[in-house]
Amino acid sequence: MSAQVQILFKNSTKKNSHTLKVHKEGGGYKQVEKAFGLSTEDIIDEVKRSGIRGRGGAGFPAGLKWSFIPKDNSRDKYLVCNADEGEPGTCKDRDIIRYVPHQLIEGMIIAAYAVGAERGYIYIRGEFVREAEILQKAIDEAYKEGYLGENILDKGIRFDLAIHRGAGAYVCGEETGLLESLEGKKGQPRVKPPFPANIGLWGGPTVINNVETLAAVPAIIEKGGEWYGKLGVEKSSGTKLFSISGHVNKPGNYEVELGIPMKTLIEEYAGGVRGGWDNLKGIIPGGASSAILPKEVCETVTMDYDAIAKAGSMLGSGAVVVIDKSVCIVKAVERLSRFYRHESCGQCTPCREGTGWMSQIMTRIEAGGGVEGDIELLGSICGNISGKTICALGDAAVGPIAGSIKAFREEYLYHVEHGRCMVG
Amino acid sequence: MPTLIIDGKEISVKPGATIMEAAKQLGVYIPHFCYHPKLSVSGNCRMCLVEVEKMPRPVISCAMPVNDGMVVKTNSEMVTEARKGVMEFLLINHPLDCPVCDQGGECSLQDLAMKYGPDRSRYREEKRQFPNYDLGPLIETEMNRCIQCTRCIRFSTEVAGVEELGAVYRGDYMKVGPYVEKLTLSSEMAGNVAESCPVGALNLKPFHFEARGWELQQADGVCGHCSVGCQTSNEYLDDSIKRVSSRSCDEINLTWLCNKGRFSYDGLEKNRLEKPAIKGETGEISWQMALDQAAELIKSVKPDQVAGLADPSGRGAEELYAFQDFLRNAVGTPHVDHRIRLKDFSGDEVKLTRADLLMNTSLADMASADAILLIGSDSRFETPLLNLRLRQASLQGAKVFSLSPRLLNANLEGMQQIVLRPGSELAYLQSIVAAQGSGKGKGEAATIASALKKAKRPLIILGDYANYHPAAESIRRLAVEIAKKADALSSDWNGFNRIVSRGNAAAAQDLGVVPHRGPGHKGLESKGKNARKILKGAAEGTIKVLFLLGVDPLLDCTDSHLAKQAMEKAKIIYIGTHHSPVCKQADVVLAGLAPGEKQSTFTNCEGRVQRAEKAVNGPVESKEDWRILRALSDRFAKPLSYNTIESLHDAIAKADHRYDLSELYGDELGPACDHAPVTTGLKVSGSSKEMKGMTLIVESSFYHDEPQVRNSTTLALLDEGCSIRINPKDAASQKIEAGNTVRLISGEKKIELIAKIDEKVPEGVVFGQFGYVESPVQDLYDWEGEFPQISMVKL
Repeated sequence: MSAQVQILFKNSTKKNSHTLKVHKEGGGYKQVEKAFGLSTEDIIDEVKRSGIRGRGGAGFPAGLKWSFIPKDNSRDKYLVCNADEGEPGTCKDRDIIRYVPHQLIEGMIIAAYAVGAERGYIYIRGEFVREAEILQKAIDEAYKEGYLGENILDKGIRFDLAIHRGAGAYVCGEETGLLESLEGKKGQPRVKPPFPANIGLWGGPTVINNVETLAAVPAIIEKGGEWYGKLGVEKSSGTKLFSISGHVNKPGNYEVELGIPMKTLIEEYAGGVRGGWDNLKGIIPGGASSAILPKEVCETVTMDYDAIAKAGSMLGSGAVVVIDKSVCIVKAVERLSRFYRHESCGQCTPCREGTGWMSQIMTRIEAGGGVEGDIELLGSICGNISGKTICALGDAAVGPIAGSIKAFREEYLYHVEHGRCMVG
Repeated sequence: MPTLIIDGKEISVKPGATIMEAAKQLGVYIPHFCYHPKLSVSGNCRMCLVEVEKMPRPVISCAMPVNDGMVVKTNSEMVTEARKGVMEFLLINHPLDCPVCDQGGECSLQDLAMKYGPDRSRYREEKRQFPNYDLGPLIETEMNRCIQCTRCIRFSTEVAGVEELGAVYRGDYMKVGPYVEKLTLSSEMAGNVAESCPVGALNLKPFHFEARGWELQQADGVCGHCSVGCQTSNEYLDDSIKRVSSRSCDEINLTWLCNKGRFSYDGLEKNRLEKPAIKGETGEISWQMALDQAAELIKSVKPDQVAGLADPSGRGAEELYAFQDFLRNAVGTPHVDHRIRLKDFSGDEVKLTRADLLMNTSLADMASADAILLIGSDSRFETPLLNLRLRQASLQGAKVFSLSPRLLNANLEGMQQIVLRPGSELAYLQSIVAAQGSGKGKGEAATIASALKKAKRPLIILGDYANYHPAAESIRRLAVEIAKKADALSSDWNGFNRIVSRGNAAAAQDLGVVPHRGPGHKGLESKGKNARKILKGAAEGTIKVLFLLGVDPLLDCTDSHLAKQAMEKAKIIYIGTHHSPVCKQADVVLAGLAPGEKQSTFTNCEGRVQRAEKAVNGPVESKEDWRILRALSDRFAKPLSYNTIESLHDAIAKADHRYDLSELYGDELGPACDHAPVTTGLKVSGSSKEMKGMTLIVESSFYHDEPQVRNSTTLALLDEGCSIRINPKDAASQKIEAGNTVRLISGEKKIELIAKIDEKVPEGVVFGQFGYVESPVQDLYDWEGEFPQISMVKL
């Protein structure tokens, strides 16, 4: 196992790493000072140069996102951190908040300065009770030390930061659903355009970034975008946290450079597949919404945005779910389909009706009531949802079903024909 | 202007327009459910997906702004496939009950299913079921038909300003409905949720199972229940109006109607006067006999002992013109008036113009106002569709101030309400004028003055309380002064608006149903008695015959005590549509027709003239009011000169050119606020002192203010009934609880009513309502004096 560059988790193993004191001892908050010495354009350029892509799932270049904030808009601008980590299998943001909350706060101060936001919110999922407490303590410490507030480091720069706890809706992790929820409304994604960069929170220009993205910003400022850009592979630069779960011997969060072979990640870092590599059935590479990759693909694929996309799935949030041969794919996907039915906000027709319909069909097949044509019907429904919804939840619901039908069609056929699982 | 190509056709549209709007302009229909031109874009139904070149996925045309050079295909294979998919999703849980659905035949889902729907379902699972709700007497629900388009929610929240409907739960369990289980929709415009529902989920309860959409015939109507004059479509079957819908009219009602306009049609068929009657005669009375009797009554006294009172609400310009024509020229009396609620007639002494009496800002322009001062106007219930424009302005940031005798149940955003003690209004307005002059001063008056000063498009609105105030003319003059100082009387923006809510009152003003002016605002040499003096004269015996056109003085005029004395003393001739207390006392009753049963012309508060068509026949024996007057005039030396409605219209047009509709505008809508500038510089001569002690104010009742409305079964279910409203503290001090019977005493007059406790009513003021037969609270009024001082005893 080769030693990996640690950016996000650099200090996470130290005792009391969540305190301001330990953070500062590790060089924390120095980058705020450095950033305030730079022009906002320079910071955005540096982040652009780093090539860092949004770590929430969509992988949109963060620097480009920041540069969309209009300079001439007189309305208040906002920076929102998306800590509504809801993608099944993902638990990376939780560890950042738990162990290095000041790294996130530092990143947010720099980002807010770069885009001209004087107010920031961290929208954290409701279930993260302890994490919200830790984060609040960290924010309080930062206020006390003058890193947050009306006059940061006596530079006349203002940034106020507040936590907002969600109420348990997956869809509030979608950035515009999050904004609606933050405004006190029902969490339903907005129609885009207009994009949040123009009309976001309370109608003002808004940048929304994932926890992991923002936590990487101090390092980019410290060592430069070029340095960061050299990590990883082309178009997938930097390090990434992978939350590895399922049938592995050492599940957990691992920070590695993007582009690492999937097999290496599982075998060397996560302690290998339960019962050995050959016991592997497939891997969901980027959270529940990404299509499952069968073992043959897992042998060679590398963990970067483009390679995974080429293999027919997506890197998403970096939640790697390892599935061994004891699992009935139909049953696993049936469970996921119920999740998406439950979490669809119900706003737009294809997702509202489609997720419910697919879930009912999956349940019927799983219960032994499948009929001929069901698999084709599922495929057709997937096609009618995909790309026709307001937000990406529709596509996310399609991902596991379409992906598993493609990779494990025989298991579906067996279920329909025999009325029971192929395994177990 | 961005130019784009839709289905091979090029079009330029205004920047910011959506593909849907561009297509509409081009005449290309894009199917949709959730899109509604007068509501915010929600983009949830996904039916309006179109293909745009260089975009990987289909986009929704209702939300996608147009870019220069865009190439849009609305009917490509990709689009058709996408729509078929959406259609299937909408249909899987939709019941197959079109044959028993009220919306059948006029349902967007049904229509589009013909084109994009599959002929059989692939859905093998169980259909979703939603509970239905009891939303009150107007809306019938069948929520299984709901396609979650949220039009009703958006209407209620955005337009009506009441957050009662919403979507609860998520995913395919998301149900649209009230936030609380059992709820009567409180909005005065609640009927629109049914009209905007694209499917049969929200239906009009009174129309439920009454007819199928395709059986109905339509006649263009104009609502005369208030002075906004909304365009309606009277839909009828078998000579009976089954439904009233709105006609889209951007200048007036956009595409909405208030409950009164939409649901009062059943009042046409209840309690009608069906034939002429003569007091004391029980046998069959022919028109001949009744008219002879009426003529005899009139001829038995001197001409100037005859007087006429008219209620413009529910009357067309036709009968209003013929009425004054008959009285002035056939009978020869100058005494005619329609202002049965006016207390201050001092404006008659100067020559007020149409601009002084009506609105000067068009309804459409009102939405762009940036400061609004409402003086004694409960605009939400006096003129609901006008209030909607004020709400639009308030949502866009207009500063709104209201001066009124109680807190209003308003829906204007950020409205600052100033409650004024009756009688203190003049002083308050003067303090605004003073603050405008000095640019200084503290308190609310100064805030109002500075907001008006800063505004580029300020509105000054006089409502019914101000119009019927004992010092109304002084208030009006001060309002003009305020408008002038706020620079609201310039040539590009005239923000002075006197809004009389009574339907068609503007036509009565235009056509001389006032004692001091003839038709077409012409001055008169011999001025007659005004409404108050007419009734006073009748009570004292100087007026011996009272000719009433649709007005029941016992219910509708300011002082019913005086009216009673007048009714007892004078001979009464009554033309009307519905049974009313006055019919029992009338010597001759002549059965007229209501709007919808005849062609009638309405002038709205903007001064815009519109003509409504006949939809159904009235009771067999009833006649058009102007024909009754025409026939009656035959018994006099100088009969009326018109025998057909066309020649009557010609005569009206000759008197006032604005009424020459066919000549001037053809099928187009006539202009608003087409009149001379406001008269400025009139001296404020009247005085008024702040009332001490318990004071009574009588207002109109929204669901009970004129015969047709009073007789509507549907609206009766919404009417709160005859009562008085008292402040909780006043009630407590008298140990009055809600529902108690209370005796109000003013001098020697007393009246008993049910009490309601209302926090919006200030201490020391009691509010009653006009129009109730049981206990007419306006009995306590003294038409000549200030507000009545009363005492209150719990019974």
